[in-house]
Amino acid sequence: MKISELALGILTAVGGFVDVSELVFMSQAGSRFGYALIWVVVIATVGIMVFGEMSGRVAAIAKQPVFSMMRHRLGLKLGLVTLIASFISNLIICAAEIGGVALVLNLLTGGPYWLMAILATAAFMASVWVLPFKWIERSYGLLGLFMIVFIVALVAIHPPWGEIGRAMVPHIPAGLSGRDLLAFGYFSVALISAVMFPYEAYFYSSGGIEDGWTAKDLGINRLTTIVGFGLGSLLALSLLASSAQLFGPAGISPDLVGTAALQAAVPFGKTGLLLALLGMLFAISGAAIETCLANAYSLCQFLGWRWGRHRPPRDAPRFTLTWLAVFALALVIVLSGVQPVQLAEYAVVTSILVLPLTYLPLLLLAGDRTYMAAHTNGVLAKTLGWGFYVLVCLAALAALPLYLITSGGTL
Amino acid sequence: MKASGPVQLVAQLRDLQIVDREGANCGIVDDIELAGKPGETLRIKALLVGPGGYSGRLPGWAMALVRRIAGSGCIHVPWDEVESITSVVRLRCKASEIGLARGEGRARRWLPDIAVLK
Repeated sequence: MKISELALGILTAVGGFVDVSELVFMSQAGSRFGYALIWVVVIATVGIMVFGEMSGRVAAIAKQPVFSMMRHRLGLKLGLVTLIASFISNLIICAAEIGGVALVLNLLTGGPYWLMAILATAAFMASVWVLPFKWIERSYGLLGLFMIVFIVALVAIHPPWGEIGRAMVPHIPAGLSGRDLLAFGYFSVALISAVMFPYEAYFYSSGGIEDGWTAKDLGINRLTTIVGFGLGSLLALSLLASSAQLFGPAGISPDLVGTAALQAAVPFGKTGLLLALLGMLFAISGAAIETCLANAYSLCQFLGWRWGRHRPPRDAPRFTLTWLAVFALALVIVLSGVQPVQLAEYAVVTSILVLPLTYLPLLLLAGDRTYMAAHTNGVLAKTLGWGFYVLVCLAALAALPLYLITSGGTL
Repeated sequence: MKASGPVQLVAQLRDLQIVDREGANCGIVDDIELAGKPGETLRIKALLVGPGGYSGRLPGWAMALVRRIAGSGCIHVPWDEVESITSVVRLRCKASEIGLARGEGRARRWLPDIAVLK
């Protein structure tokens, strides 16, 4: 592979990293707890790097997509439970993304929210049907790089870098009340979930299988997951840090998706606002398409149907009907009036419940010498993999009680 | 007691992807049909593909739900049509020759014939 191709792949991963849940939770976490939750994002980023690398490696060597191996490893009953839970969770995320795109379009054009949601969904359906997938992936991913304006904006407002650096070390801020401690716990779980959304693993590994990855591609897989996800996470962290610097002291609670764009408007005025909104528009649009296709992958892989985003739509008809239906259902949810921020909250809670079931078969297969031969998990991958597995299990156990006790972090 | 030999083979076969002669996905091994009588050696007669193959593997209420949504159809894939078993079950024949993947054709009828860019 050429260096330019590799760079393009990494940039696409960076531009496609941030989605509506990250926009919402990074901004809210920064506004409420300052820089204190930065270490949670750093840990979750290492987690998505570990599982992303593993799912790419399994795709390259065992040629097993996530839902195929899930059913084979977990059996029909538990596999079916995972499929249903993950389908619902991805559908909610997809609806949140469509709602987020509609809000941004509403801010950019002044058109009604419901009309923007319908037009955005129609545009997604048309682009996935007509355009080659590489074009879609590259255009949304690269245009999502407008979000770099958030990093530049953070530098421009001169944040306390020393404090940000110290916040990367795991700690719980002193002096929090019982209520604040519970909210801190809720935001920690929400950030882990938003950074480690399971659809990312389904989407990434399915792409690897379709692109025909082999052992030769393992280096690229490692680079894309480490550098691409790492730089993408920097974008997300800049949202949190800017919010801590600007919104927290002013007592602003960024409860709307569009509020995040103001972070770029403070140092750069209208130009910053426009760049931020454009970046958000394309990044969230890319995530809407990914979550929708991830659902189509899951269902088709679980049932053994033909699937693939590189095939013309009529060559994998059940796959095509599934993604069309997922877009339509997500639009119905948006038009029912549930706000995107609310949907993002449901999305992070339901996703973290699915994570342990998604990652267990992946860990088992990546450690199985029968399938992976010389590319089975080494000591580092094994230690990190099982370590993060314990972490996501604990987060999954805590998610629902924390959500209910803190009323979605508003306590 | 640990499963070994034929019992382990059956356990490993269940829920594997089936791929036809042309490399197309055409279902999952939902269950296995065995042949043989008490005292005789059991042998695999066919692979069962389709929601009908779930019965006995799901609780009654879940199976009733599956029947309502997806029916209870089940294709018997003769064991002789199995060419190899790796991380997938590869068949010697085309899916259409033994009635597999008919749902793809039915789904295609719902889709408009709109050109795509290459």
